[in-house]
Amino acid sequence: MSPDETAKELVLAFADDELCVGQNHSWWIAVGPFLEEDLAFSSIAQDELGHARALYSLVSNDVDRVAYGRPHSEYRSAHLAELLCHDWTMALARHVLHDLAEEIRWTALLNSSWPELKAVATRALAEEQFHIHHGVSLARRLLSSPDGYTRLAPVLSELAPLGREYFAGSDVGLVASGVLNASLADQERTWMERVEEVFDEFELSIDWGASRPSQGRAGVRSEDFLALHDEMVAVLRIDPLATW
Amino acid sequence: MRITDTAIDAVRVAVSSVTDPEYPDLNIQQLGILEDVVADSASIRVDLVPTILGCPALDVIEKDVVAAARASGYDVTVRFCMSPVWTPDRISEDARQILADEYTVAIRPREGPTKCPLCGRTALEPRSDVGGTACRSVEWCPDCRNPVEIVRSRQMGER
Repeated sequence: MSPDETAKELVLAFADDELCVGQNHSWWIAVGPFLEEDLAFSSIAQDELGHARALYSLVSNDVDRVAYGRPHSEYRSAHLAELLCHDWTMALARHVLHDLAEEIRWTALLNSSWPELKAVATRALAEEQFHIHHGVSLARRLLSSPDGYTRLAPVLSELAPLGREYFAGSDVGLVASGVLNASLADQERTWMERVEEVFDEFELSIDWGASRPSQGRAGVRSEDFLALHDEMVAVLRIDPLATW
Repeated sequence: MRITDTAIDAVRVAVSSVTDPEYPDLNIQQLGILEDVVADSASIRVDLVPTILGCPALDVIEKDVVAAARASGYDVTVRFCMSPVWTPDRISEDARQILADEYTVAIRPREGPTKCPLCGRTALEPRSDVGGTACRSVEWCPDCRNPVEIVRSRQMGER
């Protein structure tokens, strides 16, 4: 792959992660455990879909087609992003892990040599601040109570290793060309340290595993993706010419 | 066709009056969404700054801008700019007053404390990171005992 193609793949994978998480978060609209969470997930879902749109528009002139119309094997989303998380504890854990990763991924693009990508990163990172504040502060509050700890700690520990896939894929030549300001391996290390630091006092026992999962990046879709994608394209299937 | 300054000015006037779907009393000029109207090779381009990237009103605003320009006799293209980043600082003073009076929405002033749009006092306390839309958070006025929505700054390190 040429550096340009590698950069496009990286952007596409990031966009697919955002699309899946945005769509997944929106599942909680009207059924969140309490009103503030309901609103928070709706707002964050909207932001993530906006980020997906901005990223897709860097690699395609037809955002809807690239977002909804590709064969499943052409999506690049990490399996953590695809997880339906119809259990609130899982949804919260994934939200925290995803947004902590996003902060690091956007930061690695803040001085990108790809000017449009740099601009999107600057814009998106400003919007991320409240996602992280929201997710981390709620998770920490819950972990501070015995019941919350019993429920959330094991789920965070179980999902965390899956998040390593956010840093899978090729970055060959991208640091040298300045598209990326930190290699994927360096970003991954920063993310794992950050997750451990945020939850340091709660003594989570995260087994990060020997290797980084990469099936989703390689084009293998999880079962959850199939259900998620069906829901995403339900209206388009009924009426391909529908306008919003 | 050469694009004249007269044409640019006419488009600027026409699209300035396009209103925001969420605040129909305010136009995109007052809200700081309209960045510029420029000659772009053979056509006229309207540059808009989205308040947030995921704003669902963007498509509506784009359509309304194109229609308003068309009504004044010009075809335009719309570009959503990634920079500058929109902040509430871009909202005009008269729009701030309308937001307070008509929508009970407060904007953080460029200097000094944020006033309650209902009683004018300045002891607002944070209540919720999120409000009725993704661009607003909720505070509480202990003086008049009302909830108040604040347009989020979305600047790095701020809430």
